[in-house]
Amino acid sequence: MVGVVLRNVTKRWGSFTGVHAVDLVIGDREFVVFLGPSGCGKTTTMRMIAGLEDPSDGEILIGDRVVNDLEPKDRDVAMVFQNYGLYPNLTVYENIRFPLKVRRVDASTHDARVRKAAAMVELGDLLHRRPKELSGGQRQRVALARAIVREPAVFLMDEPLSNLDAKLRVSTRAQIKNLQHELKVTTIYVTHDQIEAMTLADRVVVMNKGRFQQVGTPTEIYDRPANTFVAGFIGSPAMNLMDGAVAAGVFEAPGVRVPGLVGYPDGPATLGFRAEDAEVAAGPGGEIAAPVYSIELLGDATLVSVRVGPALVAARAPKTFRAEIGDPVSFRIGAAGCHVFDSASGERIEPAPAMASPGPARADLGSTMPIGATA
Amino acid sequence: MAETKALRAPLGLKLGNAAFLAVWIVVALFPLAWTALMSFKAPVDALSANPLRVIFGPVTWEHYKAVWITHGFYRNFLNSLLITAGVVTISLTVGTLAGYALARARSNLAFWILITALVFRALPHSVLVTGYLPPFLNSRELLMPLWDAPILGWILHLFAPVPPTLYGQPWAIILVLVSINQPFTIWMMRSFFMNVPHELDEAARVDGCTHFGAFWRVIMPVMWPGVITTGLFSFLLAYNDYLVTALLLDAQSQTMVPAISQFLNRDTRASDQIEAIAAAVSITAPLFVLVLVFQRQLVSGLTAGAVKG
Repeated sequence: MVGVVLRNVTKRWGSFTGVHAVDLVIGDREFVVFLGPSGCGKTTTMRMIAGLEDPSDGEILIGDRVVNDLEPKDRDVAMVFQNYGLYPNLTVYENIRFPLKVRRVDASTHDARVRKAAAMVELGDLLHRRPKELSGGQRQRVALARAIVREPAVFLMDEPLSNLDAKLRVSTRAQIKNLQHELKVTTIYVTHDQIEAMTLADRVVVMNKGRFQQVGTPTEIYDRPANTFVAGFIGSPAMNLMDGAVAAGVFEAPGVRVPGLVGYPDGPATLGFRAEDAEVAAGPGGEIAAPVYSIELLGDATLVSVRVGPALVAARAPKTFRAEIGDPVSFRIGAAGCHVFDSASGERIEPAPAMASPGPARADLGSTMPIGATA
Repeated sequence: MAETKALRAPLGLKLGNAAFLAVWIVVALFPLAWTALMSFKAPVDALSANPLRVIFGPVTWEHYKAVWITHGFYRNFLNSLLITAGVVTISLTVGTLAGYALARARSNLAFWILITALVFRALPHSVLVTGYLPPFLNSRELLMPLWDAPILGWILHLFAPVPPTLYGQPWAIILVLVSINQPFTIWMMRSFFMNVPHELDEAARVDGCTHFGAFWRVIMPVMWPGVITTGLFSFLLAYNDYLVTALLLDAQSQTMVPAISQFLNRDTRASDQIEAIAAAVSITAPLFVLVLVFQRQLVSGLTAGAVKG
């Protein structure tokens, strides 16, 4: 049973703090994705787990060992790098064999293990090539094979797909997901791509500015974002956010009036809803009424955007929906699809529990069901 | 592979290219070839006004024999060998280790060390040499306190009863040439190491190497072109040095380059001049051998990017 525990882990460079005292418990065989924009500290956190950076403060445990003072080689982790990190002077075979060789693993087992690892990532016929003769996708598969050949306690993957083209990214992503399922190894994966995070993770850690914004299953962070940052980062398109005020259960902003928000305190607030939770109709009548700002045909749906104050708000209409820019449209959004955030701190506001409202009931459903489904 | 149309040149251009190259080769090679020819001819032929006599005159080895055996040029050769080997070994070892450290360091100190090295590199060699000359002459007195020191002195006494006079010692010249050459080798090795991605060290360390193991097993194998190229430049500096060796060595410990100028300066008989020419050709030969042997690594080292992963 090998999990990873971060206790109060901090990284400072001079006066700049890259990672602010983060705590996390990663379970055995769990697939955890660190997600966030570039510079948010996600790679630094992973490199501290690998031992390539020293934490300024706090403790890192792999299994039940505190590894702060251990060299990377003694932590029993394997890492896949964004730029592959293959040894250019060695063949694919020797690249994959390298961890076994330097760790003085019984030489008679090398060949079988290298071939098995290569077969798992479908590299069988490329073993005699050198890295520079391979395409990006093949190189990344060599790096994966090198990581799995030793059967480490923890896999660390630092944006392994970001140098690949879009199509290859999808197939390699599926391969990584399958590999982790087969090998049953605790995996930490860093990415800035929320689709990768949603598709791969058992749990997602959303990071921004060196802090954990939310830790939860993909469904949790999608259905109940903890703050406006997570809401605005997750989803494609991201959640619509409008600044306004709640008064007596009614949210109002220029051109917007959403009633039925029972149990929320009065005062300034940010209202969020997802594009797919809104219905689009021509002409006035819905909670949001405004002229069309842009219309995007996605194939399976039509995305209609309007302006609410400074914010651009989008809704998904059926694929047959057509309108011209400037035509008046209205979005119907039920209170059930709405998320209310504190306008100052950006934190999610839950309605007072005494008053039954459809908002939290839906959110509970979202958070409990997938845990059972993925665990 | 078949030539594409775009690369096919018209016949006229091809001929023009060939003619230009031929002329250029003759111009570039002439002084070298002429020197080599003269060194094998008797003075009457070598210094004749008729070029045909220089080219077709009878071949003789007498000048080489006179230079190497009679005048003891082999001693100069051995001194050059010692100094060159010492300079290349020390400056490559230090340059490789320091270059790697400075390429991977993220502190401000690394930056200031590099700038300091650059300043030393920028000083004219003659400034350094004149600075070295007085202490080299008086080194016996200057170093005496070290020999009188409590523990260090006892250790030093094991090697020599009194401090050495550094003037006229080829091994002491190694230190001077290394100090002149070192900033350059550090900078050059550092830029080669900068081309090796960080991921390589890190992958190796995660895969099971110590930090030094990663350097030795993963980084060095892709660095050989850089090491050989930097080594060649160090070799040339030590091998071709005139200023330092002429000033800090005496007649017995002279290296080849200043020795040749002495041959030329003597200039009493015609055969002395040809002997100087034979000595000059003797100096050039090892350089050719060196470049031919390391040709491949030099090309990939000089056209950077070869070490990229």
